[in-house]
Amino acid sequence: MKRILSLALVFGICFVAWLEAQITTSGYVQTYNRMRLQQNGKYTWNENRLGLVWEGNFSDRVYVYSKVRLRAFGLPVVSQTADLQRREKDRVLPWTLEFREAYVEVYDFLLPNLDLRVGRQRIAWGTGDGLNPTDNLNPDDLEDIFDFGRHFPTNALMMTYYLNDLSLQMVYIPVFTPAILPFGDWAEAFRASMPVPPYLRIRSYQDRVLLPENRLSQTSSFAAKVSGTLFSYDWSLSYYVGRDDLPILTNLTLTPSEVPPAYDVQAELVFPRFRVLGADMAGEIMGVGIWAEAALFFPDRIDGVLRIASPAGTHVQKRQVLKDEPYLKFLIGADYTFKNGWYINGQFLRGFIHERGRDELVDYLLVRLEKRAWNDALKIVPFGIALAIPDWSRYRDNFGFAGGPQISYHPVDALEVSIGAFIIEGKGDNLFSKVKQLDEGFLKVTYSF
Amino acid sequence: MIRAIGVVMILGLLLSGSLLAQDANRILSRVDSVINAPKDQKATMKMILVDKQGNQKIRQAEFMQKGSEKRLLRFTAPADQKGIAFLSLPNDVQYLYMPAFHKVRRIASHVKNTKFAGTDFTYDDLSAFSYSRDFNARLLETNDQFWVLELTPKPGVEKDYGKLKMWVRRDNYYPVKVEFYDPAGNLWKIMERRQITRVGNYWVAREMEMQDLKEQHRTIIQLDDISFDLNLPDKYFTRRYLKRGK
Repeated sequence: MKRILSLALVFGICFVAWLEAQITTSGYVQTYNRMRLQQNGKYTWNENRLGLVWEGNFSDRVYVYSKVRLRAFGLPVVSQTADLQRREKDRVLPWTLEFREAYVEVYDFLLPNLDLRVGRQRIAWGTGDGLNPTDNLNPDDLEDIFDFGRHFPTNALMMTYYLNDLSLQMVYIPVFTPAILPFGDWAEAFRASMPVPPYLRIRSYQDRVLLPENRLSQTSSFAAKVSGTLFSYDWSLSYYVGRDDLPILTNLTLTPSEVPPAYDVQAELVFPRFRVLGADMAGEIMGVGIWAEAALFFPDRIDGVLRIASPAGTHVQKRQVLKDEPYLKFLIGADYTFKNGWYINGQFLRGFIHERGRDELVDYLLVRLEKRAWNDALKIVPFGIALAIPDWSRYRDNFGFAGGPQISYHPVDALEVSIGAFIIEGKGDNLFSKVKQLDEGFLKVTYSF
Repeated sequence: MIRAIGVVMILGLLLSGSLLAQDANRILSRVDSVINAPKDQKATMKMILVDKQGNQKIRQAEFMQKGSEKRLLRFTAPADQKGIAFLSLPNDVQYLYMPAFHKVRRIASHVKNTKFAGTDFTYDDLSAFSYSRDFNARLLETNDQFWVLELTPKPGVEKDYGKLKMWVRRDNYYPVKVEFYDPAGNLWKIMERRQITRVGNYWVAREMEMQDLKEQHRTIIQLDDISFDLNLPDKYFTRRYLKRGK
């Protein structure tokens, strides 16, 4: 019932928007389908979306933006007859309504050259292409592992003051919002290894995620950034105080099951506080586009306890989960378009989204080659890959890569048809090797209106 | 004596060549002063992309220019390109705003000679620019209606074109046709300006067509709602304004 009311509300707003000349409505319809290339063609991604955007200027100084997403996602979840008889039909046709963005922007607010934006919004920082160590304001949306770098908007207050080429941005986010993690088979990619002796067999696993206490001092984050241009390069310096949106495993309790030596595990996870000093730049050297981005993380120390119960008593071991020592994530990238129209983009990244602490940071090399033809109606990406190398001295034994080819075609205006594949391979213990054998092919069709 | 006459003839030829070049460069400067004459201008732009089968795609954009060096173009249609905005500033500085990524990106020079949003114009073609700043001119031909100039990039200026051939109207210095040649000397693109009318104090072409002979594709740009000398503030030609909605 609540969903039906939500939907009625959305369409009500849409109708009013149509009537209201100052508001424009736009959006898109998308179908996204993925299938495993192994596992007998398991169908893994069944998504149909209707995205709607309303925006408008109510005066020269006020701009309003709102975006919602109606989404039918997933496969039928039916285990009993009653599931087939539900009036909501949500077990057979699962769907959700996502409220993506809704903000008001006021230009020259209080002072000339001071802009205010308040409401649910996406604030994208960093010059990197898709991966941005300094982009910590909005939580990560890792639902689709092949679309890493995606974030979702959150409630924020942002003020930007412009002075010639310089701009100063201040952001306050009152509510802590955790990241969305990959689901299903992909959850394995970001699963942290448990600090338990290897001879212990785990029978079951349950965890409890502890959100920060609902007090502004615990849930708020704050950030500031100054940007400008110097010697033909764009640069920025930033500072962020907040929390990691990915939880970290702290306390673990292992209880022997009825069938020894197997154990039942209960875990607790928290969201560590950290501060981030960031810097980025973009420009070019001899016609080659270059960019760089670095984020120095200062985490708070996190301690945890490992409890292993046995008939002889409980063994308690205190452990330091996260050291309070700084660590640096960074990215450097370059791109170039050759005279024959081929475009190449390469990035080197130290420290993926989920990696924390000096000892955990892994090196990644990302390369994408693409060619546009037929006046941009056709885009061919022979390969776009991410290569993970945790230890350069053992790269033959521990490496992983993910990526593949893609073709996108625009047969008519506003219609895009894409097909492609994600191939994952690897060896050893790294992000990609954990999910190898999950190769997928996809078809995505989007029409914008 | 014969040698002296020879020397005088060679000097004369060189001098006349130099005078012709001076004339050509003077004509080119006048061309710039005519096409960039308004203090500022604003218009809506319809781009019609036509492939070799005659299929059409339409792009629409808002367009603003201040002087000869600042230009902003923001797409209003089709829906998948709406909001994409391009800013061209002095010293070859260009920015692109992509709403889907919520980011303003500086355009490196390797992109400047690529097609802009699927049209037959490059980013460079659509930048605010001055011919006389980037090219040396040579007068090829004079007839009743036109001066025909050959333009070659000045040393240090990076262009994908080896040379340009330009037809300039003698009555008002308006360039009505430009042929673009690749570095090997092959004719690559032809640009024609049509519906050249006087609006207030200024000459303006309401329609422009760029034809890519290699790809057999053409783009027609039609200008509408043109207005001049609006005292557009400098703040419109900034990154701040580039990412402003709607």
